[in-house]
Amino acid sequence: MEKPDTIRSYLEAVAEQIRWRRARPVVTWELERHLEDQRDAFAAEGHENAEAMAVAEMGDPVSVGAELDRMHRPRPQWGLLALAILLALAGTVLRVWLTADWDTYYMDVNPYKAALAFLLGGGALLAGYFLDYGKLGRRGGWIYLGALVVSFLLLVASPKTLNGVRYYLRYAVLLYPLAYVLWVYACRKKGWLGLLAAMAGVLPLLWFCQYAPSTLGAFLLLSTGTLVLLVAAWQDWFGLGRQKTLWVTAACTGAAGIAGVRYIFRNAYTSTRLAAFLHPEQFLDGAGYHTFQIRSAVSGARWLGQGSWNPENPYPLTVSGSDSDTFLTTLIHRLGWLPFLAVVLAFAALAVWILLRCLRQSSQLGKAVVLAALLPLCIQSLFSTAWNLGFTLLSSPFPLITGNTSTVLDLFLIGLCLSVFREERIARDSAYDYHKVRLPRYRIKIMIQKV
Amino acid sequence: MEMDRSLVSGSMALLVMKLLEGSDMYGYQMIETLKQRSDDTFHLKAGTLYPLLHSLEEKGLVSAYEREAAAGKPRRYYHLTEEGRAALAEKEAAWNQYARAVTRVLKGGVCCGEA
Repeated sequence: MEKPDTIRSYLEAVAEQIRWRRARPVVTWELERHLEDQRDAFAAEGHENAEAMAVAEMGDPVSVGAELDRMHRPRPQWGLLALAILLALAGTVLRVWLTADWDTYYMDVNPYKAALAFLLGGGALLAGYFLDYGKLGRRGGWIYLGALVVSFLLLVASPKTLNGVRYYLRYAVLLYPLAYVLWVYACRKKGWLGLLAAMAGVLPLLWFCQYAPSTLGAFLLLSTGTLVLLVAAWQDWFGLGRQKTLWVTAACTGAAGIAGVRYIFRNAYTSTRLAAFLHPEQFLDGAGYHTFQIRSAVSGARWLGQGSWNPENPYPLTVSGSDSDTFLTTLIHRLGWLPFLAVVLAFAALAVWILLRCLRQSSQLGKAVVLAALLPLCIQSLFSTAWNLGFTLLSSPFPLITGNTSTVLDLFLIGLCLSVFREERIARDSAYDYHKVRLPRYRIKIMIQKV
Repeated sequence: MEMDRSLVSGSMALLVMKLLEGSDMYGYQMIETLKQRSDDTFHLKAGTLYPLLHSLEEKGLVSAYEREAAAGKPRRYYHLTEEGRAALAEKEAAWNQYARAVTRVLKGGVCCGEA
């Protein structure tokens, strides 16, 4: 191999040795800055061939590249991948098994559909796992706009259920926190305008949540969005100074919170839901009825094995959503408290494991992406656990356990978290703003021979 | 004077961490500072320095961040972590003990040469 004598050819020679393509621009960026400094120093000393001298100072590009290649390899996340797949598999098997004899009520979970959802979920998990999350950060603005366009199309195309729910859009809202976080990241380094745009970006998504309608989606978006905005202010993403940004963000999110609370108390539907949550016994002919039935099922449960139930009322018909959002109650009723605790604790272990890994990340984008994926899953699990124990504020599928479409989306979000951990060795925030060293795909060598 | 490579390579991590003890630096700055402080004895190659820095970062002994240097160009700065400071103190003590022992032997040893 010919010895490189230009900065570009040196960087190409180093990059060729690094097998992990995504590591190449990150590693060569630093070497390029070094070469430029060395070249400028030689030029200042009056050397004519400063660039070639700087390249010669660096050492053999092949051995440097090989050493860097050994150091920069993706970190496989086998443990977390296995735990996520096991939980999704447990959810699929449990849903099919425990509802198998409900076919007389047409409430048995279709095993083929459940298996297909599990397979699609596995694909979504791997798609998220191998996704370059840095690219999501670089194209945050476009992804956000894409989310708005897709949401509009879903709003128009989605079939409505009997109670007016737009079926497709209801699932899409689960990805809104991620789209919003990428939007906030895209507004970085843009001063007051960036901060304003970041905060205003929540409004269109909130509008779609209202039309889904999905109170849970709105809550997930607002809670994750508020946290990420505060983190962004703390890390001074907008370049306005930490304290100033924190005050403005806290004031605006605080005002939005107060407006939200006022809305809850003034709106007839939400205020009734809240009253039924606090005093379900006063609403036994309405929202409190579900609570009463869930509490009846739970109170008759045993540690292991089927609990007691009044045989005059068929369980699947009496406990609303027993095959979907109230499936954990079914698990408690049919199999007992221990299997329920095993499922909830396994998910909690997965979430805590991911959270601890998230806190160790040096990349701001990496942290933000994990928070945007993990927080909605954790909030859903809390609401779902409370609902299934008879504290019925907001119904939600339990992540990875209930629901076909939601399991696919949950697995994608977990895959995305794992992609951040997989790439933590090359996580560099500022490197996203600098150009790549592109290796030529083909090289043409022209040799002229004198005859 | 060029040093014997085998003498330098084992202690390179110690020298790099010692440089970072005073202030955060970027790669090129480290090489130049090391050259000055060693009176032109240590000519550390960038090809040796960066894999070493990346391995120290991997072990958590240094952390890195990107910032604009004095000339306005962005540079990757390295910072000695608390864990790195503790490791440096250990390495320094071990090195001093080793250097004293080598010097004693070169001077003829405790039993024969030194009083």
